[in-house]
Amino acid sequence: MATNDNVLISVRDLKKYYKKGTIRALDGISTDINKGDVMAIIGPSGSGKSTFLRSLNLLEEPTGGEIYFDGVDITKKRVRDANGKMVKMDIDLHRQKMGMVFQHFNLFPHKTILENMTIAPVKVKHVPQAEAEEKARTLLDRVGLKGREDSYPIQLSGGQKQRVAIVRALAMEPEVMLFDEPTSALDPEMVGEVLDVMKELANEGMTMVCVTHEMGFAREVGNRVLFLADGKLVEEGSPEQIFDDPKSYRLKDFLSKVL
Amino acid sequence: MNSFIQLSNFPIVFKYWKLFLQGTLVTILLALCTVVIGFVLALLLALMRMSDIRPFRRLGLDKEGHMKEDGAGLAVSKFNPLSFLATAYVEILRSTPVIVQVFIIYYGVFGLIKLPAFTMFGFIKFDRFFPGVVALGMNSGAYLCEIIRSGIQSVDGGQTEAARSLGMSSGQNFRYIILPQAIKNILPAIANEFVVIIKESAITYTIGVQDIMSAVNAVKGATFIITEPLLVATAIYFCLCFPTSKLIAHFERRMSRGDKR
Repeated sequence: MATNDNVLISVRDLKKYYKKGTIRALDGISTDINKGDVMAIIGPSGSGKSTFLRSLNLLEEPTGGEIYFDGVDITKKRVRDANGKMVKMDIDLHRQKMGMVFQHFNLFPHKTILENMTIAPVKVKHVPQAEAEEKARTLLDRVGLKGREDSYPIQLSGGQKQRVAIVRALAMEPEVMLFDEPTSALDPEMVGEVLDVMKELANEGMTMVCVTHEMGFAREVGNRVLFLADGKLVEEGSPEQIFDDPKSYRLKDFLSKVL
Repeated sequence: MNSFIQLSNFPIVFKYWKLFLQGTLVTILLALCTVVIGFVLALLLALMRMSDIRPFRRLGLDKEGHMKEDGAGLAVSKFNPLSFLATAYVEILRSTPVIVQVFIIYYGVFGLIKLPAFTMFGFIKFDRFFPGVVALGMNSGAYLCEIIRSGIQSVDGGQTEAARSLGMSSGQNFRYIILPQAIKNILPAIANEFVVIIKESAITYTIGVQDIMSAVNAVKGATFIITEPLLVATAIYFCLCFPTSKLIAHFERRMSRGDKR
């Protein structure tokens, strides 16, 4: 299905209905996410931004539509493998390649920072413990948290926790990073440190999809912006198109409220 | 004149101290075995109740493999036989008296299965003790199941989302992320169940387990003194249960300390 080699995730007519279709959180969304894209998803609350993002790694099971990741439709229970045989779709395998960062960090409170970062590489990808630890230390150093390896999440500030959450996902060497309002639960003075890490990541060429309320970030770092309202993709374009030349009434109205 | 308590009776009762000592040991051993059996059974039941084994799952999917939105097929596809069995077990055991369950196990089940009649440590009759442990264990398993289930469900849903988003399977998520946090939540409740079982185990004297209550009965039969041996039993039960529950409360406070999130 993914005809263009550059397309990493292809979403086709994605639907998520509740209560027999009376509530439509996602009402037929189609878009392509290319390698190296930094896609910002904006929209009023309840517009389906988070549902869309969470559908991409199937934390939310869609009611209809297709999501092609690496050419495989991950919304299907069974898929055709390389040899044309029908096999069970292994979502865990695909999730390894999609890092996710949550609004409320979701660090494992019973594990140290280092354990938080090494458990998935060691248990899922079977990376040797020493190697995983070395990588974790390098990553922690990169986000300015050297020396906090043996702390527990509870001992860190919100901004520090979110930076750990980002490098925890990076430790799995994902192909794409999904951010679900990563700065919404932070105190204002800590937003900057998290956005800086995300900017750096974008500059390194990481493919990123960010649901965000930080319009400045969307404009400065994003190369594409999606505007969602009522579960529909209302406008899509470059940050300049979206912020300087909004077409639809909904987007104009939204921007007048947040900018 | 007969007063409520006659101090002169106590020396007579104390002559049977060995019976009370053995009864105390039996009660403690009974409670320990029960908690272990109960916990293993409860963990199994809790896993059954939370399992996602649905043999008719495919009836709930449409041709494209998506979940149907309604219809009889969807209802059937949600049927989970393991969960149904576990729920039925828990509800039946929790809605009937313990003494009925103990009698059914002793007279019913072990009336058919003949147990070897030997004594452990010289004073515990195995063919009485074992049915008692099984009956109490089955009963506390039902209660502990709900404790374990709520402990597991009290772990924040974001933990599972984080683990699964890192590519962990549901089994790995349960083992490395959910269970360690759940056990910390439910340890005090399990210890409390231990105290409850110490008290509840008194009922097993009705099937001839020689616990503290059975010692009371023996003394009563030999001396026709009733109140004083009961007071001795009261003191023993209190000395077992009160310090234990205080100890649990102490550890509970200490464990909940570095736990504010």
